[in-house]
Amino acid sequence: MHIPDSFIPLDQAVIYWVIALPFIIMSMRWARKELDEMKVPILAALAAGIFAIQAMNIPIGMGTSGHMVGAALVAIVFGSPWAGVLVLTLVLLVQGFAFADGGITTMGANILNMGVVSGFVGYYTYAVLRRSLSINIAAFGGAWLGLFISSIVCAVQMWIAGTFPLVPGLMAMGTFHLIIGFIGEGLITSIAITAIAKSRPDLLEENSLEARKERVEMEAMA
Amino acid sequence: MSGKNMKFLYAGIAIALLVSVLAPFLASPNPDGLESAALGVIDESKLSELEEMEPAISSPMTDYSIEGMGKSGEIMAIAIGTIAVLAISFGLGKVFNKKA
Repeated sequence: MHIPDSFIPLDQAVIYWVIALPFIIMSMRWARKELDEMKVPILAALAAGIFAIQAMNIPIGMGTSGHMVGAALVAIVFGSPWAGVLVLTLVLLVQGFAFADGGITTMGANILNMGVVSGFVGYYTYAVLRRSLSINIAAFGGAWLGLFISSIVCAVQMWIAGTFPLVPGLMAMGTFHLIIGFIGEGLITSIAITAIAKSRPDLLEENSLEARKERVEMEAMA
Repeated sequence: MSGKNMKFLYAGIAIALLVSVLAPFLASPNPDGLESAALGVIDESKLSELEEMEPAISSPMTDYSIEGMGKSGEIMAIAIGTIAVLAISFGLGKVFNKKA
């Protein structure tokens, strides 16, 4: 879903950068507040893994392929969508500048779609599903919906840019990413989260919403 | 640093490098969702016009390959990117966590 430079006119691309910037700054703030010596290796491992796995396009039929985005995975592990925004910003920077994967002018739009939309939708969908469902299903659902919604946002941007017609664009992007989201995003996120929940349950528990609420309450009482 | 978190890091690096080696052979050469949608919904003349436009900057390893190096160049490109992402992550960690 990496938008190349040519797909969005420069003036619109600048607007997406302006919208993306506060989110990038907030993700930096999250890092300043939450990243400690203990968490840096976890963040680095996830960022490296996501960069590599984004190079692995999985065939989905119809002559099309797709790959994982990973913002939801990072957000679930750290218990915050800002972590997903931060990691995707890093990954997209390296991809754009070193590999011409996604444009430089359109990087703002790409950070918005893959970092912000898929991270926030993915994380909060996971959080809601997690109240009544097992962790693997909640992670699958969140990651899948996050990717699907971000492809819809991308299709609308393509329409505003005059690059895609609205309805055919929505249909094509929606259909492809429904499937990419199922395999590339949902399944891999679910497997990764299940593996982490088994090997490092402390990581996920420490960052769960309940644990955070308790911490806030305890701080309030003290 | 906690040993457990370092183990997590090593596992992450191992998976990333394994994927770097496999991706050039296993990754699908088919267009991704956005490109495929573009092929389907944009008429041909406009599409070729868009494709001819140069990207805003020229990248050293366009499309995860190194010129003249074939598959081994692709493996190297993805591995270099993986290491760059690792280095930037640790750099950020250092900047934001001054205690370290």
